[in-house]
Order: sequence, then structure tokens, then C-alpha cells
Amino acid sequence: MTQQELHNQRLLKEAEEHVMRLQTRRHFLKESAMGLGGLAIGALLGGCGNGAAPAVPSVAFDPAHPMLPKLPPFAGKAKSVIYLHMAGAPSQLELFDYKPELQKLDGQDCPQSLLEGKRFAFIRGVPKMLGPQAKFEQRGQSGAWVSDLLPHLSGVVDEVSFLKAVTTDQFNHGPAQLLVHTGSARLGRPSLGSWVTYGLGSENENLPGFVVLTSGGKNPDAGKSVWGSGFLPSVYQGVQCRSEGAPVLFLDDPKGMSRDLRKASIDAINKVNQQSYKEFNDPEILSRISQYEMAYRMQIAVPEVMDIRGEPDYIHEMYGTKPGQASFANNVLLARKLVEKGVRFVQLFDWGWDTHGTGADLAIDIGLVNKCRETDKAVTALLLDLKQRGLLDETLVVWGGEFGRTPMMENRDGKQNPFLGRDHHTDAFTIWMAGGGIKKGHVHGETDEIGYSAISGKVDVFDVQATILNQLGFDHEKFTYPFQGRPFRLTDVKGKVIKDIIA
Amino acid sequence: MMLSLVHRKLFWVTLLLAAAMVFITCTFNQRKVDFSADVKPIINKKCISCHGGVKKQGGFSLLFREEALDTTESGKPAIIPGHPEKSEMIRRLTLDDPEERMPYDHEPLSKEEINILTAWVKQGAEWGEHWAYVPLKPVEVPETKDPWVRNDIDRFILSKLETEDMKPSPQADKATLLRRVSLDLTGMPAPESVARQFFNDSSDKAYEVLVDSLLASPHFGERWTAMWMDLARYADTKGYERDDSRSIWRYRDWLIQSFNEDKPYDRFITEQVAGDLLPQPTDMQYIATAFQRNTLTNDEGGTDNEEFRTAAVMDRVNATWEALMGTTFACVQCHSHPYDPFVHDEYYSFLAYFNNTRDEDTYADYPLLREYKAGDSIKYEKLRTWLTTNTSAADQQKILHFVKTTDPAYNSLTTDSFENCELNDTKWLAMRNHSVARLRDVDLTQKDQLLFRYASWIPDGILELHADKRDGPLLCKIKMPKSNGWQLMQVPLQAMDGKHDIWFTYSGASLKKDAGGMQFDWLHFTQPFPGNDKPGADSAYNSYLALINTPDATTTPIMMDNAVYMQRPTNVFERGNWLVKGAQVKPGVPKSLQVAMPADAPNNRLGLAMWMTSPKNPLVSRTMVNRMWEQLFGTGIVETLEDLGTQGASPTHRELLDHLSLQFINTQHWSTKQLLKTMVMSATYRQDSRITDDAKEKDLFNKFYARGPRVRLSAEQVRDQALCVSNTMYAKMYGPSVFPYQPKGIWQSPWNGKEWIMSTGNEMYRRAVYTYWKRSSPYPAMITFDGTAREVCTPRRIRTNTPLQALVTLNDPAFLDLARHFAARMKKEGGEELKAQIAKGYELMLYKPLSAEKLQALETLYQSAYAGYQTAADSTLGNNPKDAALTVVANALFNLDEAVTKN
Repeated sequence: MTQQELHNQRLLKEAEEHVMRLQTRRHFLKESAMGLGGLAIGALLGGCGNGAAPAVPSVAFDPAHPMLPKLPPFAGKAKSVIYLHMAGAPSQLELFDYKPELQKLDGQDCPQSLLEGKRFAFIRGVPKMLGPQAKFEQRGQSGAWVSDLLPHLSGVVDEVSFLKAVTTDQFNHGPAQLLVHTGSARLGRPSLGSWVTYGLGSENENLPGFVVLTSGGKNPDAGKSVWGSGFLPSVYQGVQCRSEGAPVLFLDDPKGMSRDLRKASIDAINKVNQQSYKEFNDPEILSRISQYEMAYRMQIAVPEVMDIRGEPDYIHEMYGTKPGQASFANNVLLARKLVEKGVRFVQLFDWGWDTHGTGADLAIDIGLVNKCRETDKAVTALLLDLKQRGLLDETLVVWGGEFGRTPMMENRDGKQNPFLGRDHHTDAFTIWMAGGGIKKGHVHGETDEIGYSAISGKVDVFDVQATILNQLGFDHEKFTYPFQGRPFRLTDVKGKVIKDIIA
Repeated sequence: MMLSLVHRKLFWVTLLLAAAMVFITCTFNQRKVDFSADVKPIINKKCISCHGGVKKQGGFSLLFREEALDTTESGKPAIIPGHPEKSEMIRRLTLDDPEERMPYDHEPLSKEEINILTAWVKQGAEWGEHWAYVPLKPVEVPETKDPWVRNDIDRFILSKLETEDMKPSPQADKATLLRRVSLDLTGMPAPESVARQFFNDSSDKAYEVLVDSLLASPHFGERWTAMWMDLARYADTKGYERDDSRSIWRYRDWLIQSFNEDKPYDRFITEQVAGDLLPQPTDMQYIATAFQRNTLTNDEGGTDNEEFRTAAVMDRVNATWEALMGTTFACVQCHSHPYDPFVHDEYYSFLAYFNNTRDEDTYADYPLLREYKAGDSIKYEKLRTWLTTNTSAADQQKILHFVKTTDPAYNSLTTDSFENCELNDTKWLAMRNHSVARLRDVDLTQKDQLLFRYASWIPDGILELHADKRDGPLLCKIKMPKSNGWQLMQVPLQAMDGKHDIWFTYSGASLKKDAGGMQFDWLHFTQPFPGNDKPGADSAYNSYLALINTPDATTTPIMMDNAVYMQRPTNVFERGNWLVKGAQVKPGVPKSLQVAMPADAPNNRLGLAMWMTSPKNPLVSRTMVNRMWEQLFGTGIVETLEDLGTQGASPTHRELLDHLSLQFINTQHWSTKQLLKTMVMSATYRQDSRITDDAKEKDLFNKFYARGPRVRLSAEQVRDQALCVSNTMYAKMYGPSVFPYQPKGIWQSPWNGKEWIMSTGNEMYRRAVYTYWKRSSPYPAMITFDGTAREVCTPRRIRTNTPLQALVTLNDPAFLDLARHFAARMKKEGGEELKAQIAKGYELMLYKPLSAEKLQALETLYQSAYAGYQTAADSTLGNNPKDAALTVVANALFNLDEAVTKN
């Protein structure tokens, strides 16, 4: 967008702001005096949600008010997204894609036809086939196959649409995660969450619009770029909330600075800034004043929402959460709290799903079983909890990894691995979605009898991205940002909305 | 029926066209339509997405004139120059039938747009060239006698202001000017002595003396290096999953030195693009080429090294265009440029300049330049002396070059045809019992020695090398002893001429099944060490090996071209996919820029650099001038620094940009300091930045420069200013990057146990430009203030204003620490009285006195802090309630709008 357009837009905002400034100031003082989280005040600042309809639905970027809530181009079913990424890539063959034929081939040499023209990360020469290492059953009314590694999820399959023939073209973790989240296997593009906050702003100005929660002890392989803002303004990058120290970096008042004193100092800063505004007449100063007020409110609102101690016992029981622990379950519960408060996009990464068989933690029959045990209850609780709060319809939940696993047993460097494992696989894996206008109890796509390739309903990660944007009210082909001389979009030149899973 | 309908339609169209003609005769007959200004914008907006570089619907494209006038799928051309009434393109604009009318499935063009296109065809459908692709020509400087004017910049600015009916602002006060120009030229407040001299000097020359002393300051180089590092995507790590460390800080130091010595910009670029190809390059010229080695290396196991080598090469092409020529070339990698005159193949011809470098996504980042320390550098000198005395100049040069760079060598990751062996972690060829591997196309002419780097884990390995086949002629048979880590070994080979595939076979009696016996790093086919019959040869040879394998050298990844016998062909990638190779191409530059290769230019990167820095190149000078303008004024003359092309923003002052760009080449001889001096000496730059109500109405974004610049400080300036005013800055220059305070638990890269270990003592108070930059986890305070992750070239930072920024300067313990130091200084230098202490702090930051209202707000803050600390003693922010309360005030000062803004 050119400066001229920005200029016009900003002039409008300035007019708006002049009207609202006094009102806001009064509110700020009142809220602060009460020491309450000013969770409602975001609406006042934005000019949206207080009855006045926003002028034009657009994705114009205004540096002075980058997080203003905006309407999507068309009415989306979902208001927010919780994306559960199992970093390392869980095996579809042990969880959702039931292949009795593969069991029969267990231990036999892989036929040459499956290897020709394929590139693998670690398989070399001729590997052996590996049968499913879990027991499967059909579950619920819909009869979806889910293994006994996910006993809890098995009970809620009638809420879920399974995509069983997802494909990608990246077989290394870092690039594949980038592809899933930024639409490109190279660094430098904005992540899904950044696109969404750029397009929709934030409904709660006291909380970041795009929150990232990680578990498993490591960041995802592609680093913070998977929640980076790429070429979008940096304000749209994901804010990582941490389980240790301040939940948001530098949120806590420094040691020796009381809450009252922090308030007094922000008051003093803003009083001086008011004087500067008189001197310079620069609207940017007004914007800075409101950013400081917002920072103060954020200091209250974030710790409130990040504290799960206040949740009732039955909720802790349901999710398997233990306050004070750094765990995936705690992150899932936080995700629910965050979307409840109007956070647009909550991205979870749980590290440790890689199952090569090069160690016990990386074994398909040990490591994977443990990861399922750590996560199954909480994921299921999330769906049930959102549902009981009436939030599931407007919250899109996505679960998946960055690629699938091979039906062959990995033979790293051409020799047998110490444990049972599967290599990275790009041609078929499972992602599921629930809520946010997605069909309930549905299965889309099918793989061949050994789960090697898609035979129907094949989709790729761009289709998944297009569908997520669609549920939020965006046509992924029209949702663009100018960069490097052309309008860029999340799905680049690809992507089709998977209409079959839309309710 | 159908026919008559068509006829009726045609009748109306003809009538309409006739009417349009009459209208056009009135409006456009006199005036010639300007292709760039009038026509191209319509084409870009309304036509080219279907009729351009990507799609050519109906066989019609509007990208180049020859294409536009060519026959379309209908068998006829769509444009007949001089005859709009016969031109299908014009006819289609006015039809009613939505299937026929263009633009298809979109709103019709406006009357005015149709008139412009019609007049343009009538006038011959001439193709204008986009201004940025036209060579620079002298520009007439607007005449004016206005006393406000100080140099040519002001003449252009004033002339435009007059047409907008606006007036320039008076000069800013001395304090504001001092702070503005110091932050701009050195990235930090001027030292007290410089400030004092400026205030005490009431002559007309005072400002120029100040500017000259800032330009001469060593901090000048640090400030401009910080800017350049975004363009070079400089980082201290390799990127991707493991994101391990990379030693490339010598390049950062080269930048600082180059800016400080005002290396002419043409030279500055040449060394970065092709320093390795200059005659007898110096170490520093090699280091300059690290500009293009800041690309990412993927260490993740299982990655295809060729894929990531290719990605790095493409990134170099893109960065060269975006950073140095203000052109977004990346889209041409998949198809012809949709808007600008570059065709698909030209991307790959350009890529061919970069495709023959030695780097291959190796773990070590080869090729590296080694710089020796202490004992090793003496050893190196001794070796050099020995070689001078005992060998030919050519041999000496070859040996020393190999010592410093291990070039030319084959990286073992390029081997293939593995039997019972593999690339270990896809990085090094590792052999097991009875294993076989191949290295293709090795030139053995006059090479009967092999020097290689290896690690061997068993005492009884047997390695054989055969030519052509696994059981072909034996080149050598070697007993491999167990090694202590990576070692070097040199063995004689059976003499053989020409190119051969080399087959490795390996076995070891003590090897267990599936266990690895040894692995290779690189292999160098060569001649015997020269002068080996001369005295001291043994010792020289031992030094030679020791220097190659020393762990103590400072290494820097550099650019280096393949030897002739290692050349790679370059192919077009179909739709940008590196696995689908199209036609082979030779190195070349885009034709549409109409700049011939200089006659003496070699056909390599050095020739490319000569082409780029030729005074005829329309883009290089404009791009740099525009960038420098943006750095000083907040917005470029062309807002899109990365794109001067037809899709970029239009220049606000095109003539001024051209004038300065020509001056930069001819008068200033590419002197960056002179260019900056011209800008900061202008009356335009020196204006007061207060916004009048009139200006707010007419020009909120200051596009016409009726006032001075007022923009937020950069991430680096925010930190450096706090270091300066708190008197903590450790002004040491150069060296490895440092680790200032960062909260725990920020780094969590998989498969990489590295932690941020805070620098100790003074080192934690170095300027921001020295802060360690980890790509997957950049320094949080900087990234919050719009710093970039440096994954790809970032030609422009977009300034935002967010609550997270407030939280950094309010709460980051690093800033609190500085606030404590700042408070101590305020107390020491401000005198006994509290008011004076607070005023001192403000003055240290802004060079001017604190107004009564502002003082009152800050004093009130002090009092409430003091009261609090008296009742609840807390020594975290100060040793006593007074000191702590003053720290609270100092912390507030860091957060003032005036403090984080260049006023």
C-alpha cells in the first residue's frame, strides 16, 4: 500500500482518535485505579465492537494502529484458530491410517517399485516393510479408524474431519514445517498466524493477537521463523508465551518497581509526551501514548489469562493439567483461555514426534506411545471444553505434523536401526480439523493398501492453508501483500479449499 | 440473427469510437501521451495479469512492444500503430458483451483510461521506458533566489513545495540539529566535546565543522554497517534447524573499515561481488565476498546438499538485485517478469555468474579463508620465506593459496554410487567394511599426489583408489591408521592424464558389521610438495600441513570460483523448480537495461561488477542515493527501496534523485561520505520538524519536505543511545560478536545444545552492531523494534509502534541496568538539587533544557517513587531511596517519545 493510501486511512483514524481520546483517557484511569484487566477497553480503542461498524473491510496496514480489528472479506465461520503442531511428524500408520495389508508385508524387503525415483531423508538401499505397531478400531458413529494409542480422542471422532491423504514436497523437518506454516520451504515468508492477524487484527488489544506456546523442551526445527512475520510488518509475528519467567518477554515489572510505581511512571511518561505533542503536533506521539497505556493493561491482562490456577478441579482433571508445570496439556488449556479472551490465533508446537528408531525416544513403539500418552487427554479435552462453552463452532482446531512416515522401516545409511522406526514421508499423512464450520465425523481422502500414496481425496498443505483462511473469511487467492514486486499470498500459486470437509 | 446482432454492435462501436476520437482530438491532440506516466500504469493495473510475462491470453502480451504488435491467436495483431479504430485491443475495451469486453470479468476501464490508450495507439503505440531503467542524464536544476536555499537539493524541494503551495520550515534549533545529525551519521549522540564545540561556535561554519567531525568519527562506520547488515542478511549462525554458529564477523569488520575509510561505492560493491576475482586478492578482499556467503547452510540430517546449494545461489541473485540495484528480480525465477522487462531465461543467465562458486552446503561452510594467530602466523611467514627462496613464484602462490583456503578440493559429499556406505548425516563420505563409493570426473592431468582430510576410527583400515571402475587401474592402496579427530594424509598416485571417475574401496579386518571405519572431509589432487629436494623442505612441508589443519585460525566463508575442470553448467529451471532443468545458459545480463558489458570485462562475477558499477548502469547509483535519503529523511524518494521498477512507488522527486545519482558518480566519485554530507548540509534536512496544522492537512507524511524528518530510532539506535547517555558504552571496535544480557531460555534449537552465555565485564556494553545474531532466535529487544531476522536480504525495515516496544524499554533488565548507570550520572553531573539532576538527564539525552511542565511530571514521579522506597526499602534499583527513585526517573527518560524519536 502506498503512503498516500496510508495517509488517507490514517487521517480517518486521527479524526476517530481525537473523538475518542478523552474517553479513552478516562477509561484508562478508571481501569487502572481498579487494578482490573481492561479486557473490554480494547473494543473502545479500536472503534469496532462498540456498536459502530468499521468503515471498510480491508487489510490495509496502518503503522499507527496495526492491530485494529478488521472484518474479513466475507463472513467466516471461525473467529479464531488453535493449531496443534506435533513437531517431528507423528506416524499416521500408528494413529489413523489403518493398513492390515501392511501387517502382512511386515519384515519383507520393500518392492523396488516403491523406491524408484524417490528421495528419502535417511532410507538407503532396500529397506524392510514395517507393519502397524498399534491396534486399530473403528470409533464413534462415523466409524473413523483410530488406534488404541489415542483412547481419549477415539471418543470424540464424531466432532472431527480427518484428512487422510495430505501430501507435501519437503522431507526434512525445518523446510517442511516452514512450508506448512509459511507456504514456502525457505525462510522469509510470513506465517499463517501473521497473515491472520494482519488480515483481522486483534479482538483484544490487551493481549497479543497471535500467541505461540511450545512444549517438549525445544523450539520447532525451523526456529521462530515458523511464527515469524516474514515480509509483513514485524508487529504481526507470533508472541511466544513462556511457561518460565514472565509469560511474555519483559512483561513483568522489574524487581524493585511496584505496580503503583509502574503506573506512576507511565503516567509521567505520557504527561511529558502530551507536552511533546503540543510542541510537535505529530500524531505518532498520540499513538505512542496509547501504546504505553496498552502496555500497562497488557501487563495485567496477560498474566491473568496465563494463570491456570483459577480453573476448577474438573477442568484440570479433564485436561490433565498441573499448574506450574511446563507441559503440552497446560498449553492446550491456555489455548482455550486465550481464544475465549479474543486471541485470534494460538499456535502450539509440541516437540518430540520424530520416530526414526535411532533411539528409544525416537522409537515407533516407545517414543510415539509416550507422546500420545502425554497429549491425547488434553487434545480431547480441548474439543469437549470448547464445545461445552459454545466456542467450538467459532474456533477452528487443527492437528497435524509436517509430513508422514514411511511404511518401510528406516535403515539409516543402509543398516538396521536399533529400534523400530519410520523415515520421513511426503506422499501421505493425516491432518485433522474440528470446529469452526468443519464437518463433524467425516473422513476425506484415502491412501493405498499400505498407506504409501494417496489414491483419492489427495490434498496438499496449501489446500489445508486455503481451507483455514476460508473458514476465517478469506479467499486465499485474493489475500495478498506486495513484496518483491508482486502480490504475495500464503498459498503462493497453489491451494484449493477442501470443500468436502466444510459443513 | 447472430450476424445482424454483431453488425448492429459493430455499428454502435464504430459510432462510439468516432465519438471518442472527437473527444481525443480535443484533449490529446496537442499533448503527447507519456507511456511511463500515462499508459504503463493502466496496463499494469488492468491488463498485464492476463497479457504479460506470466500469462499471454489470446496470444497477446503487453510486456514488450514487439510482443504487443505481434500477431495474436486470432491471426491478426491487436494493436495497429496509428490506427486505434483498426486495433482489436481498443475495440474490445468498449464492447457490451461481457464475454468479449476487456478486461475480462472485471470492471470496464474508465472513459479517461480508454482515451489515453486510444490516443497512445493513435500516436504510434510507442513504448516508453520506465524511468529507473533509463541511463542518468544531467537534470536542469530549478532556478530560485530564495535565501532559504543552501544547495541544489533545496532548489528541487522548494520548486515542488511552491507547486503544492507550501512553505519550508525554518532551521531547527542547535540542540535538535546536533542530536539529529549525530544519530544519523554515527547512530548515537555526539560525544560531549563535539557537542560543546558546536554550541560554543557561533560562526556560520559551526554546523559544517560538526558534520565533518561526525563523518570522521570511527562510529560512522559502525552505524552504516548496521544498515548494510540487513542487506547482506548478516547473521552469526547458519540458519535452518540446527542453526549452528558461523564465524563471519570479519565481514562485519570489513564493512566498518570500508565505511570509515569511505571506500568509493563502486569499489565497495566490486569487492563484495567479486573480491576473489580481483588480481592477487588480499585477505580483506576475500573477506568482502562474505557478503554473498551470508546465505543459509542447512545442517539438518537427510537434506539434499545440492538443493540448498542451489537455494543459496538463487538467494545471491535476488540479494544482488534487491540490495544493489533496487529491482525485484526474484519473480523472474519462475516466469518472465509480469511487469518489468525481464524474461525468464535472463534470471538464469544472471544466475550463471554465481553458479560456479565452490560452496556446496558443506557443514564447514567451505570455502573458508584462514587468518592465522600468534604462533601460526609466524609459521606462515616462515613457510612463505622458504617458498620464496626455494620454489618458483607460481608454486609459492599455489601452496600459500591452498594453505589459506584449501582450494581447489573436492568435498566428499559430492560422491555417489554408494555400496555399503553413505554420507554420514548427509555431510561426509563414511566407509564401512567392504564398501565402495565414487567421485566423478576428477582431472588427474599432472596430478600424482592426493592430499585428503579424514577421520579414521580403526587401526587397520585398507583404502584403495581405482580409476574408472571399482576394479579399474589401481591408483593407490593405503593402510589407514586410527586418527585423533580430523587429520591430513598425502599419498602418491599412479600417474594418469585426463578426467577419471575415482572409485574408493575400503575394508577393515577389525570392523564390526555396520560399523563405520573412516570418513572423508575433502580431497585435493595435486603434485608433490615443491622444492622437496631443498634444505628445510621437511620442516616446510610439516608447517604446510599444520597450517591447513590448525584449529586456531579465524575462518571466514568466502566466494571462490570453481577451477576450470570443475565448472558446472547452468540450466533454466522450469517454473523455478530446481529439479526440472531446461535449456543451458551462459552468463549474461538483462538486455532491456541497455547497458553493454564494458569492453574489458571478463565473463565472470568481476565482469558483472564492472557492468554494475559502469556509470551507464541506471540502477546502482539511484538505489544507493535513494537508500541514503531514506536513512536520513525516513522515507525514500522512491518509497519502495527494494523496487524502483514499475510496480514500486513513484518517486516524489524524480529529478532530484537523478541529479544526486549523477553527482554521486561524477562529482563525488562514489564517495558515500560526500553524498551524505550534501544531504545533511541542505536546508531541507536542517528544517524544524514541528508540524504545522496546514502541513498536517496537506502532507502528513512529509512527502514534500516542508519540515525536517521526525522518525523513531532504529533498534540499534535505541540501544546505543541508552549506552551513551548512561556512560557505559564500551567503545571497543571489531572482533567476534558479543552477548549482552538476554533472558534465560530464549535459545532452544533442536540438536544444538548451545546456550546464550552472557559476555562479562565491559563486553556486555558494546554497541548493538556487535550483538550476536542468531537467525532462528534473534536478540529479542532488537527484533521488537523492527530489527529483521536476516533470513533474506531486507532492503527496508517497516517501522511499527507497539506495546511490546514499550515493554522492552520499560522492563528489559538490560535497560534497567542502564537506567541505574544513567541515574548515577545524573546525580554526579547534575549537582545537589533534584531538579537539576533530572534536567541533566534530559539534557544528556536531548541536549536541551527541560521545560517546567515536563520537569514537574518527572519530579512528581520521583517523589512518589521516593515515598514508596522510604516505607518499603528495596535496593534493587538504587543503594538508597533517593538513588532508586532517580533510577525510576532515568527509566522514564529512556521511554519518552522524544528520546526514542529523532526529532
